[in-house]
Amino acid sequence: MKGHVDLLLLSTLRAGPLHGYGVVEKLRGLSEGEFDLAEGTVYPALYRLEAAGLLSSSWTKTAGRRRRVYVLTKRGRGELAKGRDEWKTFAHAVEAVVT
Amino acid sequence: MIDRYLEALDLELIAVRIPRRLRRRILAESEDHLRSDDGALDRFGAPAEVANAFAAELGARASRRAAGGAFVALGVAGAVYAFSFVGASFAGHPPPDTWPLLAQLAFVAVIVAPQVSFVAGSLALVRALRRREPVLPSAELTVINRRTGIALVFGLVTMVALGMLAFELRNGSASWWVAFTLAGVAVAAPLLVLAALPAAVAARLRPRVAGAPGDLFDDLGFGRTDPWRFARRVAIGLGLVVFLVAAVQGDPFDGALNGTAETLACLAGFAAFGRYLGLRR
Repeated sequence: MKGHVDLLLLSTLRAGPLHGYGVVEKLRGLSEGEFDLAEGTVYPALYRLEAAGLLSSSWTKTAGRRRRVYVLTKRGRGELAKGRDEWKTFAHAVEAVVT
Repeated sequence: MIDRYLEALDLELIAVRIPRRLRRRILAESEDHLRSDDGALDRFGAPAEVANAFAAELGARASRRAAGGAFVALGVAGAVYAFSFVGASFAGHPPPDTWPLLAQLAFVAVIVAPQVSFVAGSLALVRALRRREPVLPSAELTVINRRTGIALVFGLVTMVALGMLAFELRNGSASWWVAFTLAGVAVAAPLLVLAALPAAVAARLRPRVAGAPGDLFDDLGFGRTDPWRFARRVAIGLGLVVFLVAAVQGDPFDGALNGTAETLACLAGFAAFGRYLGLRR
């Protein structure tokens, strides 16, 4: 997973805004539990992506709870598209060699 | 349980020196996460692990930004220095042996300090640009922060000394040179102080990430050899340049003296700062 964290996190937000817990849930759900990581360590990466301008975040109030919601920026969408293309090319090449 | 966890996390965040405002946000988000389901506390990670992850990510970014900011501020100071230094040739100073003591001390600082500042600032930027990973070993961050700090301190010493020199020589020098130098110092010195703020924030963070720092050859990307051998070659090369420039201007004796001094100063700098600035291990 190391080395692909940014792409994975950006991908979880492709469908729409999520709070931190939602990002982790989606990551676990989509990977069918494969990415088993200390959930608290996802936040530093989210902060980094935000500082890099790939995500933006704001506080919202849902059912009386204050939650920080993350959303992809335009730049983040571009980076995600680029990362997905690179990953597909890489995965295709590995598959061709391995299988 | 969750409250106790958050208290422990707060203490760990303080221990790695995360700024207060960011700490509040981290704690608020962590609380929201931990109250989202019954098992979240078990999956969140130990407080020390989470706090260290924040410090590691923030530390790498903060050190890189500080190095970049310092280089920009040093660029302005360098321009002031260069114009003032070149302008001094036309400013008609009184003979150096008649200068007040303060001016003579300032002159020595104006020659030595900018060289240290330029080398340290360039090295900080090079290391920051070469290490683009989101997380860097703590030892590597220390090297970048030290380089940035030394560059800024010596840059500030240069500007203060330059200002002192212009002030002390104001009666025997062209007024345009005095005015330009003092105005330039008045602009560049505050910029250096401003650039020191993010550098101080970066240096305060205390991530614990294993790994050794690089050395001079990691900065250069080529020519790995014994660091002292490399330093000797560079020092002799610089001394030769100083000698040749003076020889072309018709003063080879003075050039030989200054070239030797440059070589010795370069080697002394390497001995004094080499390990501290991560040039040799």
